[in-house]
Amino acid sequence: MVLEYKILLLGLFGLAAGGIVAAGIFAFLVIIGVFPRLIGKTKTRGDILLYETLIVAGGILGNILDLYEFPVPVGAVLGNALLLVFGAASGIFVGCLVMSLAETLDTLPVITRRIHLAVGLQYVILAVALGKLTGSLLYFWNGIGSQ
Amino acid sequence: MSGQSSSAENGQSGPAGNGQSSSAKKPAERSGNSKQVYLKVAQITEVQSQDVFLKDVAKVTCKDQVLLSKCNSLKIKKIREKKQMRYVEDVLDIIDQISQLDPEAQVDNVGEIDYIIDYRPPQPSKVLWQWCKTIFVCITCFCGAAFAIMTFNNDADVPALFKELYRLVLGQEAGGPTVLEASYSIGLAVGILLFFNHFAKWKLTTDPTPLEVEMRTYEDDICKTLIQNEGRKETKVDIQ
Repeated sequence: MVLEYKILLLGLFGLAAGGIVAAGIFAFLVIIGVFPRLIGKTKTRGDILLYETLIVAGGILGNILDLYEFPVPVGAVLGNALLLVFGAASGIFVGCLVMSLAETLDTLPVITRRIHLAVGLQYVILAVALGKLTGSLLYFWNGIGSQ
Repeated sequence: MSGQSSSAENGQSGPAGNGQSSSAKKPAERSGNSKQVYLKVAQITEVQSQDVFLKDVAKVTCKDQVLLSKCNSLKIKKIREKKQMRYVEDVLDIIDQISQLDPEAQVDNVGEIDYIIDYRPPQPSKVLWQWCKTIFVCITCFCGAAFAIMTFNNDADVPALFKELYRLVLGQEAGGPTVLEASYSIGLAVGILLFFNHFAKWKLTTDPTPLEVEMRTYEDDICKTLIQNEGRKETKVDIQ
């Protein structure tokens, strides 16, 4: 009898934890401005509901895949293709995310104002992007993450 | 607005230096004022034709039907270049043009002071390209959301936490997935759905969804920045 109560307690804990984590993570994703910018750039604001549905589906499936680690048997070719798409898409997403974060915190405006940068802001941004590319390649090639 | 009305008054009062009669006339005109024009200019207007009329960018009301139709068909801008561009305009120019139409007109603007004309030349609709873009954003949204939740679970080491919690409460090691993973997944789904307020076409309430709100904020910011960029006259060094 006590065991059932305890499991019930754990279940409630899990439900509440999931709800709060979802609210935190997804509010952050929306507020940070990646999606509005992507939608604005591609001029597809008519499809907002579709995008939100995809975000919901991605969050739920990603979480289940991560926790239960069930195999996705789709074969080598399709599997690699899926991984390629996932890698590229999440790379684009993280690229947008870090720049949104930097922009929300006003990093670039503050620095350009401090040192009175007058010309070539586009090269600064290009340098940031190239730096991220180099850092990412170095990280994965040297296996920094697995050390 | 008072500056506008007095200039219209002067244009009509004939010989200069007849200040007294002009000011004496004023109240009489005010009382039977059918030439009062109210303008409500929208912040941003998308146009497709190169001739922009007042009725495109603003709502106009006036008791005088003749003046009203004149105002509505007033051409306020002729776009020369046939390429997509945003033009920041000033409502004072409109007021000026209306007073040229009818010197007695009194104009009150209850809308925006600076407004934007977003010119998009008519082009063949590229349905395929539109779908490519939508699919691109869909994939990014889906993978981004999946990636974000996985990195969070990894960062916070949620599986290890669940194992520890299971051991604490039940006093035994968890062999494989427990009730915690299941309820966490369900709670996460419920939380996301509550936050976004809908799944596909099914909506919880009639509120706009968070992404719609954020999209509107983003567009407002763009409009504000465009208008402010136009209004600011300063050195290049400072504007960054």
